[in-house]
Amino acid sequence: MVNFRERPVKSILFLLMLAVIIVYLLFPFYWAINSSLKTESQLFMTPATMIPRDPVTLEFRPYWGNYIHIFQSGQFVRGLRNSVIVATLATLLALSVGTFAAFALGKLRFRGKTASLYIILAMTMFPQVTILAGLYAIITRLPLGTIPGMIFSYLIFTLPFTTWVMTSFFKDLPIEIMQSAQVDGATPFQTFYKILLPLTAPALVTCGLLAFIQAWNEYIFALTFTAIDPGARTVPVAIALFTGEAAMQEPMGETLAAAVVVTVPVVVLVLIFQNRIVEGLTAGAVKG
Amino acid sequence: MDLQKRERRLAYKLMAPAMVVLLVVALYPLGHVFYTSFTDRVFAGARDAQFIGLENYHRLLAVTVEELPPVIDEETGEQQIDEETGKPVYERPIRVLPRQPHAYRELTTFSLFGSRYVLGARTPNFIRAIGNTLYFTIVSVFLETVLGLLIALVVNSEFKGRGLMRATMLVPWAVITVVSARMWEWMFASSRAGFFNMLLDRFGLIDRSIPFLTLRSFQVPAMIAIDVWKTTPFMALLILAGLQMIPQELYEAARVDGAGKIRRFFTITLPLLKPAIAVALVFRTLDALRVFDLFQVLLARSRYSMASFNYYELVANRNMGLSSATGVIIFIIIFIFAIIYMQMLGVEE
Amino acid sequence: MKKLLILMLSLSLVLFFGVGNVQAEYDVELTIIGGAVGEEFETTVRAAEMYMEENPNVHVEVLDSPDSADERLSLYLSFFEAESPEVDVYQIDVIWPGELEDHFLDLYEYGAEEYVDMHFEHIVENNTNIDGELIAMPWFTDAGLLYYRKDLLDKYGLDVPETWAELEEYAGIILDGEREHNPDFEGFVWQGSAYEGLTTNVLEWFASNQGGTFISPEGVITVLNERNQEMLEMAAGWVGDISPAGITAFMEEDARAIWHDGNAAFMRNWPYAYSLSLETDAFEPEDFGVAPLPAGEDGEPAATLGGWNVAVSQYSEHPEEAADLAFFLAGWDVQKMRATDASLNPTIPELYEDEDVLEANPFMEELFDVFVNAVPRPSTVTGDNYSAASSIIYTEVHSVLTGEQDALTALEYMELELQDLTGFEIGQP
Repeated sequence: MVNFRERPVKSILFLLMLAVIIVYLLFPFYWAINSSLKTESQLFMTPATMIPRDPVTLEFRPYWGNYIHIFQSGQFVRGLRNSVIVATLATLLALSVGTFAAFALGKLRFRGKTASLYIILAMTMFPQVTILAGLYAIITRLPLGTIPGMIFSYLIFTLPFTTWVMTSFFKDLPIEIMQSAQVDGATPFQTFYKILLPLTAPALVTCGLLAFIQAWNEYIFALTFTAIDPGARTVPVAIALFTGEAAMQEPMGETLAAAVVVTVPVVVLVLIFQNRIVEGLTAGAVKG
Repeated sequence: MDLQKRERRLAYKLMAPAMVVLLVVALYPLGHVFYTSFTDRVFAGARDAQFIGLENYHRLLAVTVEELPPVIDEETGEQQIDEETGKPVYERPIRVLPRQPHAYRELTTFSLFGSRYVLGARTPNFIRAIGNTLYFTIVSVFLETVLGLLIALVVNSEFKGRGLMRATMLVPWAVITVVSARMWEWMFASSRAGFFNMLLDRFGLIDRSIPFLTLRSFQVPAMIAIDVWKTTPFMALLILAGLQMIPQELYEAARVDGAGKIRRFFTITLPLLKPAIAVALVFRTLDALRVFDLFQVLLARSRYSMASFNYYELVANRNMGLSSATGVIIFIIIFIFAIIYMQMLGVEE
Repeated sequence: MKKLLILMLSLSLVLFFGVGNVQAEYDVELTIIGGAVGEEFETTVRAAEMYMEENPNVHVEVLDSPDSADERLSLYLSFFEAESPEVDVYQIDVIWPGELEDHFLDLYEYGAEEYVDMHFEHIVENNTNIDGELIAMPWFTDAGLLYYRKDLLDKYGLDVPETWAELEEYAGIILDGEREHNPDFEGFVWQGSAYEGLTTNVLEWFASNQGGTFISPEGVITVLNERNQEMLEMAAGWVGDISPAGITAFMEEDARAIWHDGNAAFMRNWPYAYSLSLETDAFEPEDFGVAPLPAGEDGEPAATLGGWNVAVSQYSEHPEEAADLAFFLAGWDVQKMRATDASLNPTIPELYEDEDVLEANPFMEELFDVFVNAVPRPSTVTGDNYSAASSIIYTEVHSVLTGEQDALTALEYMELELQDLTGFEIGQP
């Protein structure tokens, strides 16, 4: 599409649009990075500065203390580990359970389809705080540890999402593919596993990423379930428990530093999945 | 016949895990909310809850209209005129609205056929919260869909660095929600320590800093702007996945038939994207209707969304019954939206 | 792709089972939940260690919880809703004894008489419910203060204001002068957002102007009177004048951000801002001071009582030991350690004369009078309705500050709604 020699005006317009989109999406994040490199005095400076500057001399002076602090606190590092476990397992569980259900809902004939679809959606239609009390009662009664408990409770919002998204994509696939596979003697499940699943790879990966981030960012459930088990705290909880030197002081710089640090692995994950996995999966489908 | 039976049996088997999860994790909490919404239960209260029927719903939704009688000047026998504003004076709503059996408060006043009326509600804040949330939802979901589609189309075209672009595009969605709300609060700060006041000041557009978050007409639009920033990537990515699944052969065929780019977009791309867009819309709307963090962090109790009202009712007032009822109302509104989308986009067969 | 998935799955599983933590066996395991802030948390851990040294059969675990009082309360409520025995001792806000009385033990039944007398009387009263049960032991205290810039007062030849009218006047004078070279300057910053902090500010205005404390300890609603109306109208006039227009969204940290950058002449805040103000680049440590808040024309200054207490859960499996731990934490040794190491203001008057404490915190001597006269919010008399009562108060006041309602209407509604909520009588302060 970008071909300067053939269509210079069009290419420039396209690049301009790209630039606008990038600035719009990334500038607030830049502001977070900028603020995370400031001391409290630099943060409170008026007017605010586009890069960290010394309050007196106005020289460029980034402050790395916020980053050092968060890595020195064991909470944050442990939180990263817990978040990886919880979000990964919740996503994989939701993806597998959801894809099974989605295949049935999208491609098989049985009664009560629409109703099932809405019942599954109903799981996630209440505000989180409303179901918290009931959910807490269940989770504490189930003979699970804190982390498995969290993973199961996250299915409340990840499962409806994966089910619905995958259902819509299964529906999209032409029915002929299934029929021709059945003619070849494949069982419906083989058709599903060997043919349809690879075809929906882009959806599967996207859906997984979005569900992963939802689980990664979840806060209220995690705060409540891990209150008595500090070892199981996830990143959002660890960040929320950052404190200043004194009670009431908001550790703005450290909070933003942590947010920056936490965003990076997610972006890396997207990079890996978008390029390698999608292509790998689609290639597999073509071969099969 | 046999095949159909086998298919049905497979379907039930495949549905089973999801249903088990639903039963174990969701059934009790959900049922609990419905049940509690008919009681006067106190959050962590020592008293036993009483069944009170629809009282919570009445309390949340009841409205009344009363006429405001003019204030008569005793000397002239005519209606008093306010000296400052020059407008006729009517009785204050607080004197007119009923107090028994339930107290009503002013929601708004309006004039009709020469008389002045007051619209009262038992819980004006919740009625306002419904308004705020619907306004927020409709505008932000609309903008997110349009922008998301645009971004998805751009990112779907071939260019160098496309992979990197797809990753950066996801950054706003990946920033932890709790922190992103705080970050925006800081950017909207009412002094020049905030980014927006600094920027406006640098370009000489303002004399005094603007307290953005206390300007009532600015509050919900600000929430919309932040939400659009944060969740457009979600839309874009889901639509992108839809785009990637459209077989290239269809475009080839259309090109051979001589269809232009725009025509191809409307005859191939958009119809085939419908299911992806429908699902994205359902989940965005569902999240938007439950918007909580943004309102709680940036507007606290100066302006409510339905979910932040629900939160404060539960945590600050410990009114679990009432808060459950707000949850059920949110639930019903979401259901209505979901059905409308599925019908409108013809996704259901 | 399959390989990667399997790798991720097994990696997660390995991490997952590596998490469980093994605990040693003790006769009694106690858990205390409280503040997460650096030194506050560390000194709690140290106090727990001191206790374990004296009681080798007991193991005490310290849990942290969010610094935001709202979030901490909702977390506690979730525990109580589930009647969880996991936490034995709770650190509770000074406004929670009434709210949470159903979930805590009466400490008098565990021998509190022996210990209460040495604490500030008004805090003990605050922690005693209508039935005479002691819900919590005082742990550390807080009170609203007026921070002022000495250098600016000197520059304009002014004294520390003693009445609200003086404050308004002086702030205006300094503001007019400083704005000429500093467009960001503000006269007086405080907490005007619609939240508990606004209730604490309003209590200081009303109580210092002889307008009562919203609800008297005997259960009489005293909000609707001319003094309060006058005070409220005055405060509404500050918004956008001596105080920034955005003050109606200010919490403690928003006020401090402006103060910290040297852009405010006066600030109403808690003592925590004192040590943080020593670190700013915008003014020298000797250029600021703290004083009691101003009063009305013929009133006495009032500072809202803040601070935290320790209470023992009803659902604890070891109530005896937990109560003993609470007494120990609230006792002389721990309070002294926490005052010297973490600047937490003791609730034991004698500690304000202790040399070690004063050496570490010279300002505590000055503040003693403020602490001893601090005014509690009506949280005990309202029982589990306090949060709801307070939200009525700050919602109505907030609407006056933002200009949506006039002061009279707001006070009328405040009175009506407080009456509907509590069923108390209406009277004059």
